[in-house]
Amino acid sequence: MPYTNAGTQRSYVMPVLAIVAAVLQVALAPQISILGGRFNFMLAFAVAVALRGDATQAVYAGFFSGLFYDLTATVPIGLMALITTVCSFALASVGGAGTSGFSPTSIRLAGVGIFAACIVNAVALVLLGAEGSILFSLGHGVVTAILTSIASIPFLMASGSPSALGGGGFSARGGRSGSRFKTVPRTRRRSLH
Amino acid sequence: MPRSQGYSSNLNNRRQSTGLRPFIVLCVISVLLLTFSIREGDAGIIHGARSVVMTVTTPVRYLGSIIASPFNAVGNIASNLTASPATLSDLEAENEELRAKVAELSEAQATAERLESLLGLQSTYSLQSTAARIIGESGDAWSRTVTIDKGSADGLAINMPVCNAGGIIGQIIEVSPTTATVRLVTDENSGISAMVQSTRAQGILQGQPDGTLRLEYVTVDSDVKEGDIIVSSGLGGVYPKGLPLGVVSSVDRPDNASYYTIVVTPASSETENNEEVLVITSLTDEQRATDDDVASSNASPQGTARDESSTQDDAQDDDAAASGDGSSSDDGATDAGE
Repeated sequence: MPYTNAGTQRSYVMPVLAIVAAVLQVALAPQISILGGRFNFMLAFAVAVALRGDATQAVYAGFFSGLFYDLTATVPIGLMALITTVCSFALASVGGAGTSGFSPTSIRLAGVGIFAACIVNAVALVLLGAEGSILFSLGHGVVTAILTSIASIPFLMASGSPSALGGGGFSARGGRSGSRFKTVPRTRRRSLH
Repeated sequence: MPRSQGYSSNLNNRRQSTGLRPFIVLCVISVLLLTFSIREGDAGIIHGARSVVMTVTTPVRYLGSIIASPFNAVGNIASNLTASPATLSDLEAENEELRAKVAELSEAQATAERLESLLGLQSTYSLQSTAARIIGESGDAWSRTVTIDKGSADGLAINMPVCNAGGIIGQIIEVSPTTATVRLVTDENSGISAMVQSTRAQGILQGQPDGTLRLEYVTVDSDVKEGDIIVSSGLGGVYPKGLPLGVVSSVDRPDNASYYTIVVTPASSETENNEEVLVITSLTDEQRATDDDVASSNASPQGTARDESSTQDDAQDDDAAASGDGSSSDDGATDAGE
């Protein structure tokens, strides 16, 4: 029974987070500008999903988050979708079950991913002709990265670890009693002394 | 034994699911979207999708605008309260309440003044326009745009100019049924055909990455000074001629250069949430540049000599134009037509 509850919790947490991110992106992001930078809640959400370690889920979340960002802002459509997809895949590949949730490692990885995405976006906008000055574009990118990193913290806390929310971690792959880290057979254990 | 092999096979298949296939597919889709969105220009299927999303998300934008608007007025109050030590909590609460009311009334007064100025601008220039309200700024950090609460359902279309009490603030670049996106004049992709009001020297007013404006392509034989009013020339056919755009804040003449470096302070200062604006829906014949205007600007892009006798008289008119009255700009535009 507890397993079922945890599974239910896991199933609705991410869609709720996605909706929250979308609402914040549309309602709040256009209202707050600090030193030319703005929050990118969709990127923060995508990073939180990616750090859960499921690459397929991360790629889909990254693509649709980026696409939503593109459709609600005056930027070339598809650019942030591409960047967020790549970023999510990279984070999901680098990270794993140990990096999900709110931990120093996950915050560090999220920060690196967000920073890279914002800088690549800034450079791409210059290359596409949407921005004229590389310096200003990078400046906005850095501030946006800082704001988005801050915004990602609540998403990381809410997303939690997959194992804590029931399934998707080591135990699901190896079975209830199994483990990836096999115990040493008795015959070999003697020789290890 | 066979059972064991089957289990092993399933396990391997699960481990091989690294999300590489959807990753490649979605990357290709993203690149295709990017390519088509750039190639199709302002109208097309992909921009139509953006229009749909903008329409669907309009209520959420309104909500954000409503939530954010009190903080604009109360933000200063919060900082002031921390500076003064309060001894009695009742007095402090009352003081806070009164300050909030003052801020609210100040906002209402500012709104009334803006509306009054807008009406003045509309009647002065005989603008055929639709009033709208700003409900949000750009969602990204790289462009200077605002979203207004009127769209194609209200007769708005792409390229329509938008102004506030100070003068032109920008041009509509995207429109959905209920909202429109306005590219501000300070956006670096913005360019407006403009001229110096007093000497009729022609140029292009270009937005800069740092948020300032520059009047480009003004030849060094033109007469331009600090404090000159820059107005729209109407040559592009989009903006009505004679509307104030800004004031020259510095004029620099680099060695061996053919053109001045002219920095212009925008006539319309920072746009803000819930601010009322006018969308100019169509231009009258008087507001369009005539063939004579075009011929005159082609013949003498450097403009004419400054009329010293009228400089002092113009100074008062210039102040009025810069503040959005614009009566002298209108006269100036008529002069150009002549």
